[in-house]
Amino acid sequence: MAFPYQCIEACNRSRGGNHDWTLFGACGSRLVAQSSSGASSIWPTAENVDVKDDAPEDEPQERPGKRIKLSPSADAPSTSNFSCLVVSNDKQYLVAVTAEDKCIRVFQIDSNCQLHQLSQRCMAKRPCSITLTSDDSTILCADKFGDVYALPLIPSAEDNLNDTLAGGPSEQAAEKPYTPAASVLTVHSGRNRKVLEEQLKQASKGPKKIKEPLKFKHELLLGHVSMLTDIVYATINSRSYVITADRDEHIRVSRGLPQAHIIEGFCQGHEEFISKLCLTESGLLVSGGGDANLFIWNWQQYRLLEKVCIRDYVLRHYRAQPQLAALLPEDEGNFKTAVSGIWSVPNSQSKKDVILVACEGVPALFSFQLGDSSTSGEAIPLHGNVLDVTFVWPSQDACTAVVAVDNVHKPGSTTETHDDEGPSRLQYLSYQQDGTWGEDSIVGGILKWFNRRASAGNLDGRGEEFDTKTKARLDDEKAVRDILYGVENLRKRAGADD
Amino acid sequence: MPGEPAKRTKREAYKDSLPTDGQNAAFPQKKFYRQRAHANPFSDHSLTYPKSPAEMDWAKYYPAYAVKTEDQDRQEKEKEAAVESHDQGQTSGAVVKGITQPVEIADIGCGFGGLLFALAPKFPDTLLLGMEIRMSVTEYVQEKVRALRVQNAATSGYQNVSCMRANTMKFLPNFFAKAQLSKIFLCFPDPHFKQRKHKARIVSYTLNSEYAYVLKPGGIVYTITDVEDLHRWMTGHFERHPSFERVGEEELEGDVCVEIMRSETEEGKKVERNKGLKFVACFRRIEDPPWP
Ligand SMILES: C[S@@+](CC[C@H](N)C(=O)[O-])C[C@H]1O[C@@H](n2cnc3c(N)ncnc32)[C@H](O)[C@@H]1O
Repeated sequence: MAFPYQCIEACNRSRGGNHDWTLFGACGSRLVAQSSSGASSIWPTAENVDVKDDAPEDEPQERPGKRIKLSPSADAPSTSNFSCLVVSNDKQYLVAVTAEDKCIRVFQIDSNCQLHQLSQRCMAKRPCSITLTSDDSTILCADKFGDVYALPLIPSAEDNLNDTLAGGPSEQAAEKPYTPAASVLTVHSGRNRKVLEEQLKQASKGPKKIKEPLKFKHELLLGHVSMLTDIVYATINSRSYVITADRDEHIRVSRGLPQAHIIEGFCQGHEEFISKLCLTESGLLVSGGGDANLFIWNWQQYRLLEKVCIRDYVLRHYRAQPQLAALLPEDEGNFKTAVSGIWSVPNSQSKKDVILVACEGVPALFSFQLGDSSTSGEAIPLHGNVLDVTFVWPSQDACTAVVAVDNVHKPGSTTETHDDEGPSRLQYLSYQQDGTWGEDSIVGGILKWFNRRASAGNLDGRGEEFDTKTKARLDDEKAVRDILYGVENLRKRAGADD
Repeated sequence: MPGEPAKRTKREAYKDSLPTDGQNAAFPQKKFYRQRAHANPFSDHSLTYPKSPAEMDWAKYYPAYAVKTEDQDRQEKEKEAAVESHDQGQTSGAVVKGITQPVEIADIGCGFGGLLFALAPKFPDTLLLGMEIRMSVTEYVQEKVRALRVQNAATSGYQNVSCMRANTMKFLPNFFAKAQLSKIFLCFPDPHFKQRKHKARIVSYTLNSEYAYVLKPGGIVYTITDVEDLHRWMTGHFERHPSFERVGEEELEGDVCVEIMRSETEEGKKVERNKGLKFVACFRRIEDPPWP
């Protein structure tokens, strides 16, 4: 069975009325790319991994991971799983984060849809969210420890020599990053799985004792004393802002570089963790997380405009569908939602903001039109839990949402897995002018290769991706789950420690 | 901290024995309020804190400054009007009891409150607030505030001082609005010697942005410690922060707060007894520069 795409990100270009787009997907530790013209690639490519064929020739293809050993050299491709993808505003670069090794990787996107890794910079603390300044000069990295660092997108020679630019006495010291030598996608035997578990545990426990300063330019901009969950860079007129959200209900608005140490204000009102921020086309801020409500802000005035009860929408959707209704707790009061994604729909046609919202483990998207007085929404049922969404523009006034869905777990569950090969990993929804969403079979047709593309390994493209014989891939259930589902874990447990 | 059962029972018995009629003038006994020295500022304590400064029930802490009922009616009406116009999300249910003037002096990590009780009479027209993460220590200070208010009922003394439990490293902006404070005290903060724990220090470049946010331009952060390394750390992090400038020696000589901070904090007294050194450093919040 194929591993789902845990992150997807599209890059839309228009040249003289011609629209083309490229879709990038992270599938475990691989990146898959395909363009509207049909060009495609997989990273890492066969050349930059040391493929050691120690498996018998007749070994079924579905266990390719076992055959691949990754060389440990500096530029070695990662076996860490991707957790975040961002395309630069100029569409030239893809910036990606790999989770276990805490690494920020910058790739150049060539005209042939190939990815060339330009740099890999391992941070001291796990990056939770990254964004770019509007001029693409700087990556802003928000981490698990609550800090935001600025890194040049393309470091100059002197940037790398001069590593005294870190934030201060304490920030100079950073731990040597720890990279598990195996990943969930390359290990299938029982014993190796144990080793991997140990390694992942070790990785999550944090790095080894040895500390050494990071050898690249990274400047501490600001910090919360709480895990950061999202970061947004906004430019309004000539002023730029950094908006950060944390696990302790805070949304902070700071000035942009070089004055990011100045806090302008806070958008206050959440009572649970915040997991996602989204700036709409018209410049409103939408935030969501563990609360029953989405919050809609006039963020420049720190003023709450409206709350939208996303939990009610999800609940109503579940009640209306027998298979989902069965998943509701006996006491519906105990039903909780955790927002895992909010996306602003790029539809230049409509005057109203439209957003799509996903909740963790929910097999539907919720589409909202933000109104002047009140917001209305509808549920879009999907055949698997939503993992990520991105938009491609097949033409001037068309917009299609590509949705990565979980083909491994059953709809509505983050633990129960399908017995068969599961549904397709992508769904395509085009935005109609009347504000509804319909299936887009054209984009779906173009992305057929992308959708079918192998998950673990299968670099040489031989054979089919999924394994109908064994369920080896599911033996790492917990590790798979950790890659796909981490939002609900942000919720504080009452009296956890005191 | 649970402590051994016997100790806990004694504490409970002691606290149960305290009169509840509000007339009790006796000081609390410190021995029943001691608590393990360190509380983890990163953990999810079951703390209560307002969603925003506007939702803070200040009247509970400064009853003598509570807004009169007419004012409150007006506030309520204003709030309702606001709700009708656009804030449909905001619940108008809980009416927050306001006070006639905002808190302006905060003692962060106030411990047993020595500084607060010495400062309160010196700033009779200013509201002072101690903030302390340890529950039991906070209770002690609150009890002492209560006793002092009873003892000084004739002169309305100590109505301007109070204490609350809070993790200031996480929730300072929940309590104070932008540019609300004129003074912040950071007296004898926990040193957190281990490098690994430096992020637990109450002063850092990134936290200084929050102090700058709640301070008025011209407002001052006072720091004192007996740990030279920590003094250098705090000085380094404030001097590097563009929102602060160091206050000169001469100016400090004339500042009554500096004298009180040296002599009246519990830690300051301890250091005095041990003939230790005390390092003082103060930093002024400067005006924000224009946008670039
Ligand atoms: C060494 S004591 C000093 C007490 C007092 N300022 C004095 O000088 O006597 C430091 C105090 O800071 C408190 N503290 C530490 N971290 C805190 C935080 N994040 N929020 C509030 N108080 C904190 C500790 O509980 C402790 O009581």
